Amino acid sequence: MMQALVIIPFIGSLIAACLPANARNREAWLAGSVALCGLLITCWLYLRVGDGEVVRYQLQWLPAYGLNVSLRMDGLAWLFAMLIQGIGLLVVLYARYYMSPKDPVPRFFAFLLAFMGSMLGIVLSGNLIQLVIFWELTSITSFLLIGYWHHRIDARRGARMAFTVTAAGGLCLLAGVLLLGHIVGSYELDQVLAAGELVRNHDWYTAVLALVALGALTKSAQFPFHFWLSHAMAAPTPVSAYLHSATMVKAGVFLLTRLWPVLSGTPEWFWMIAGAGICTLLLGSFYAIFQHDLKGLLAYSTISHLGLITALLGFGTPLGVVAAIFHILNHAIFKASLFMAAGILDHETGTRDMRLLRGLYHVLPITATLAIVASASMAGVPLLNGFLSKEMFFAETTAVGGRDDWWMSVAAVAMGIFSVTYSLRFISVFFGKFTDELTVTPHEPPHWMRFPVELLVMLCLVVGIVPALSVEPFLDRAVVAVLAEQAPYYDLAVWHGFNLPFLMSLVALVGGILFYIVLRRYYSLSNSDKVPFLHRINAAKLYDHNMGRLYQMSALAVEWLGTVRLQPQLMWIVIALVAVCLVVIPWALVPLPALGDGDLAFAVMWVIGALCAVAAAWQAKYHRLAALLFVGGTGIVTAMTFLWLSAPDLALTQLMVETVTTVLILLGLRWLPPRLLPQGRQGGLGIAAVRRSRDLLIAVGAGAVMTVLSYWALTRGTTQTIADFFLLRARSEGGGSNVVNVLLVDFRAFDTFGEITVLGIVALTVYALLRRFRPAPESAALPQQQLDPTDAAIHQTPAEHADSGYLAIPAVYLRFLLPFMVMAAVYFFMRGHNLPGGGFVAGLIFAVAMIAQYMLAGATWVEARLPLDPHRWLSWGLGLAALTGLGAWLFGHPFLTSHTAHVTLPVFGELHLPSAFLFDLGVFMVVVGATMLILVALSHQTMRSHRVPAGAAVPERSS
Amino acid sequence: MTLDWSQHLIVAPVLVPLLVAALLVPLNETRHQVKFLINAGAVAVQFGIALMLVSMTDGGHWQDGIGVYLAANWAAPFGIALVVDRLAALMLLLTALLAACALLYSMMRWSRIGVHFHSLFQFMLMGLNGAFLTHDLFNLFVFFEVMLAASYGLLLHGYNLKRIRAGMQFIAVNLVASLMFLIGLALIYAAAGTLNMADLAMRLEGLGGDQLALLKVGAGVLAIAFLVKSAMWPLGFWLPITYAAASPPVAAMFVLMTKVGVYVVLRLWLLLFSSDSHGAASFGADVLLWGGMATIVFGAAGMLASDRHGDLAGYGAIMSSGTLLALIGLGESGVVGAALFYLLSSTLGMGAFMLLIELVERSRNPVEAMLSLTREAFEFEETPDQPVGVGIPAALAFIGLSFGACALVITGLPPLSGFVAKFSVFHALLAGEVRGVGLAVMGLVILSGLAAIIALMRFGVRTFWASGAINARMHLSEVVPVSLLLFLCVFLTLRAGPMLEYLERTSATLHQPQLYAQRVLAEPAVMSASAQQARSDG
Amino acid sequence: MEATIAIAIGVLFGSGVWLILRPRSFQVLTGLLLMSYAVNLFIFIMGRLWVNMPPLTVESGAPDPAAYADPLPQALVLTAIVIGFATTALYLVLMIGSRSVTGTDHVDGKETDQ
Repeated sequence: MMQALVIIPFIGSLIAACLPANARNREAWLAGSVALCGLLITCWLYLRVGDGEVVRYQLQWLPAYGLNVSLRMDGLAWLFAMLIQGIGLLVVLYARYYMSPKDPVPRFFAFLLAFMGSMLGIVLSGNLIQLVIFWELTSITSFLLIGYWHHRIDARRGARMAFTVTAAGGLCLLAGVLLLGHIVGSYELDQVLAAGELVRNHDWYTAVLALVALGALTKSAQFPFHFWLSHAMAAPTPVSAYLHSATMVKAGVFLLTRLWPVLSGTPEWFWMIAGAGICTLLLGSFYAIFQHDLKGLLAYSTISHLGLITALLGFGTPLGVVAAIFHILNHAIFKASLFMAAGILDHETGTRDMRLLRGLYHVLPITATLAIVASASMAGVPLLNGFLSKEMFFAETTAVGGRDDWWMSVAAVAMGIFSVTYSLRFISVFFGKFTDELTVTPHEPPHWMRFPVELLVMLCLVVGIVPALSVEPFLDRAVVAVLAEQAPYYDLAVWHGFNLPFLMSLVALVGGILFYIVLRRYYSLSNSDKVPFLHRINAAKLYDHNMGRLYQMSALAVEWLGTVRLQPQLMWIVIALVAVCLVVIPWALVPLPALGDGDLAFAVMWVIGALCAVAAAWQAKYHRLAALLFVGGTGIVTAMTFLWLSAPDLALTQLMVETVTTVLILLGLRWLPPRLLPQGRQGGLGIAAVRRSRDLLIAVGAGAVMTVLSYWALTRGTTQTIADFFLLRARSEGGGSNVVNVLLVDFRAFDTFGEITVLGIVALTVYALLRRFRPAPESAALPQQQLDPTDAAIHQTPAEHADSGYLAIPAVYLRFLLPFMVMAAVYFFMRGHNLPGGGFVAGLIFAVAMIAQYMLAGATWVEARLPLDPHRWLSWGLGLAALTGLGAWLFGHPFLTSHTAHVTLPVFGELHLPSAFLFDLGVFMVVVGATMLILVALSHQTMRSHRVPAGAAVPERSS
Repeated sequence: MTLDWSQHLIVAPVLVPLLVAALLVPLNETRHQVKFLINAGAVAVQFGIALMLVSMTDGGHWQDGIGVYLAANWAAPFGIALVVDRLAALMLLLTALLAACALLYSMMRWSRIGVHFHSLFQFMLMGLNGAFLTHDLFNLFVFFEVMLAASYGLLLHGYNLKRIRAGMQFIAVNLVASLMFLIGLALIYAAAGTLNMADLAMRLEGLGGDQLALLKVGAGVLAIAFLVKSAMWPLGFWLPITYAAASPPVAAMFVLMTKVGVYVVLRLWLLLFSSDSHGAASFGADVLLWGGMATIVFGAAGMLASDRHGDLAGYGAIMSSGTLLALIGLGESGVVGAALFYLLSSTLGMGAFMLLIELVERSRNPVEAMLSLTREAFEFEETPDQPVGVGIPAALAFIGLSFGACALVITGLPPLSGFVAKFSVFHALLAGEVRGVGLAVMGLVILSGLAAIIALMRFGVRTFWASGAINARMHLSEVVPVSLLLFLCVFLTLRAGPMLEYLERTSATLHQPQLYAQRVLAEPAVMSASAQQARSDG
Repeated sequence: MEATIAIAIGVLFGSGVWLILRPRSFQVLTGLLLMSYAVNLFIFIMGRLWVNMPPLTVESGAPDPAAYADPLPQALVLTAIVIGFATTALYLVLMIGSRSVTGTDHVDGKETDQ
């Protein structure tokens, strides 16, 4: 039953969102019926809540984390539920007439219903985390409601402000609730309420209180967070009437009331809550006087009244709680009616500026009467509900403040005076002679638009005159729900005799009237643009300023902490390497190098290698070709080292890779921009020098670290490795005596499998890249050396060079060599399993053979004669490797298990065909395919580049 | 004795994409319908396999929920072992889901702006799945390279100036990072003499002083490679640039790639350094912790500072992986389960966001956006005309709603999975014995969430409210993936209870290194007579 | 010998690092080449230095592990070489593409005032 209360509004919201844009009546009926049936359910639940029972509903969600769907209705929750849905119903009715027919109301009502649901969720939550969830939901939905007219900048600004403040508060609340739950050991409200002592004596109490208070005060727009509320007035008036009378802002004080038994009764509580409350009520009421916008005035009065409620709760006395709850009720009633009345005026006159509005009583007698009564209640005139709770407030201040804290009573009276004054200011729009500055002639609104106001004003009177009969029982339930056994005695009589509180009320009334007259006479309210004395306290400006600062600071932080350039990033990685080594290496354990050992030839070889490396580093900027050659030199030395240190396979592979890489880079060099040594180059002055030396330092450091690591790893005691296993089983079980190759195609074939995939991927990427590549114009033309008109070669295609041109003789050799190179490839492939070689090396050799032909006679010629489609080779190679591996499945073995087939051929006799052989074939094909693909793609650039019209003297070549 | 077919499922997530990719390569680009269908079919198959693996790991099909597959039939630690446990299975599932959405999204436009998209896509899946499954350090390197090579291709797919620039950075950074990877694992081999992770964990206890020191160095250098992937400050500057440049579906997959780094850190760190049975206990935890916190700060600042959608997403991703790293660094076993939930939620949310922002951009009215900015800057108050709302067309409403949902998930606001994730993390942090640093992380996460709220709200308001967004034209294949991912977030929220229980079981397994040792090293190689024969006379 | 190779690795790696910190894409390319040489050698020597003991178990009978070099690092290096080759090629092509699209050979694709 109770869960329906929370669910129905959200369902309604969904339905509302789906209705067509012009369905104003249907929307209103829908929303109205949702609110109404909610009301009925709530009333029905009073049967149980009425006799002090607490209605509960539980549903498992995150039991392990103590977070369940848990609803809980006691007197307080019931009162709020009634308030939320009752006022909600009236607001819906009012909005039906307020919103223009052209307005896309589905969105409006959808948000409104969602908001109502979230509010109900807050008040009915039996679990604090769940309460926080609904809390944030109200922030979100109110953000959408305030920003409903989002084409207006004030609406956007107000919405953003409200959301930022309340959402931030919500996060604080979350933290507070988490700590609270940690202290109590549960987030369930019942347990928490029972553990008040424990919480108040815990070390974290202050932190919890501060966080929860932040949540509540931001929501209830308490000083210094009050500013968002006045900006939220950009919302449509029904929204303001709902959010700022009965719901949104009441959530904060509701929370304070809810947790009152747990957190209250300590000096911290008093100073934090009551302090904020009193500041707020004074500021708010004072500000309200000097507003020119009807809704602005109401907004500040709301702030001050919430301050009043907060202060009452902050006092920490049972009677304070009674007064607070009572005032929550009263304020909701009269403030809702006032907002609606203001809305009617706005609607009828087209403005809310009190400086323009005069003598509206003549045109809107009924509305005027209602508004006057309501604002009288706001001012605390006797026989109206506002009077009762305000007098209780006065009583509390005198009781709590007493003689030594007399300032409290003074503040209370001052607030009373101010509120009388701004109430007068509000109703002043009805008196005087009717203004003629209005563009439209206002007349009474449709009856049903006024009906909510009438009803609420009626309530003001009823409660004000016969409180005992009207609200006392319900109030009593709520009070008991909060205070349990320490609920005080109180009576809601209108007349308590001639006592101090009554005197204070009197003073407030009279003082307020006088103050208003004084202001009218000597201060000329209407043309004062800013609030006297206090206009400097402009929280909104502060907020904007701080947000701006926040953006600037973060932008600065990103600029300082981050980078968009490559070099710093690489630098960081290298620095990380060095740092790790410096920190972690136990330098004591690292032995000093004994340079005596080792043989000289090796050392000499590496002196050359190292020199090449350094030279490459030196030359890479201005002499690319030289640098490339030096790098090649280093590569050769590396290969020789592999050979020297008994790794023939590595040496072979390194050599082939070296060759192919060099060729590729040579093909690529042509497309880089020329970079000539600047004349009289400045030997690195200023910043450049600094950067160079820094990089040099890093480079040296990194090199040193690697040296240390290598030497240390080489000279420390041996480790028991898994290597022996392979040496022992390579031939007996792997079927090959070249352990490295067996490792590649059997033991760790899965690696090789991935490795050839990488090769394939890269080839595809390169192809995709170069397909659409157009060389930069300045490098598209033929290089200068080839443009000599006396040279016959420039009129020939590459093919002609080879056949009859200057390349004729190399052509003979190379073409003669082709079959031998292919044979070499086959040879290395076949012996791979037992001796150095294997599919990869073979593939590279084959590729080199092809490259030679390309270089000799150009792409066109070669492709015309031996058409090989690299894509096919690639995909078949991968497929073959994979399928070979899959073959093992047939034998019930895992992927890539090697088998040996025994075939007997007439000539060769019996042959062992290990499946590894097929796998290696796949490798071979992939290598060939990939290398050729890259190569062809690169070489085709040459052809394409000449299609780019460049150097008209040059004839069309190699079309 | 032969192998039960179900064992082969473990290697299938690597094989299926490879075969499909190889098949797609020679297929002519003009027949992209066919290519797309094959690709989609393959993703569907992988999804099915992942589902089965999840149920098998959790359903007691394997002892301790750890399935082992010995590639090439060589017993660990000598051969390469693939291991599937709850975590791996879950990541496979996540990958398949995200891939399905990204692929569907790419159907109309993005798959056609270059060649070989579908092959590269499958290759990337192969790399990801392999990285999740393999239990061998060097094999992990190989699969990282597969994944990266494919990601290079996909990043440059249909390249333009922006992508080329991003590519230069992304590739260079990752090449250097790969070198670090190699150095690290070489050192580890030198120290411990093995590459198999479980074997490594076992040998750790027996290692002598200098060996342990060498291994620590190796682990540290190795970590650099992973932390570059997971974009820890100051190694992650490549991320926003790359994400902003990549095409939406690719960016969505990249979200997962960032998480791979975190995944490996989590797995290796828990396997090697979580137990205090050896001298290297909780080695490097502080680096993860403080680095992670720095990353959170950097990400938050980035979100606040960036007003372009691409950057927003990138810094958001940085923030979430920073959060994960910090949580791992805390080294509290209780938090891991919740952290994994956070990983799931943020991955899905980010993925949806990546796909969405392009639609958002499409529905943006640049001129108006500019104007509104200046208006806000100078606080021009428009005269409040007779207030009438502005209607919102359906497509725009969808984009707006999805944006809101993504924002909720990313910022961790209720009621979506983002909140559940953060709440469970906080709860877990407070459940154990509470340390100041734990509270610090908690506060930092909350604050970063606030920063994200502010940034995303500013972006959303400017885009949807201020700039009079125009009604974008969308294809169904673009609407469905986004909605699907967001629906998954909702599902996560509703089924959070069971989900978290599953993740608790996952983390429980992860915290028992010896369990892996027992299962992986004990897995026997298949020995049939024929195989014996084949080998003996090979 | 150990000292020699260690220093050699250091020099190669250092020059590589210096190069990758330079702004021109070709410098970075050569830097990557040098660094990968260094790293390959590094992996290789993690299996210790063995002269004239190639892991070819040709002669019959059960081989004696002590008589052969550690084959595993060699296999790893082989794979590493291949992958390095692939990525180098990719970077090379990207370098060309970048130069043609951005009009500069600066690694950031635009001339920064560095």
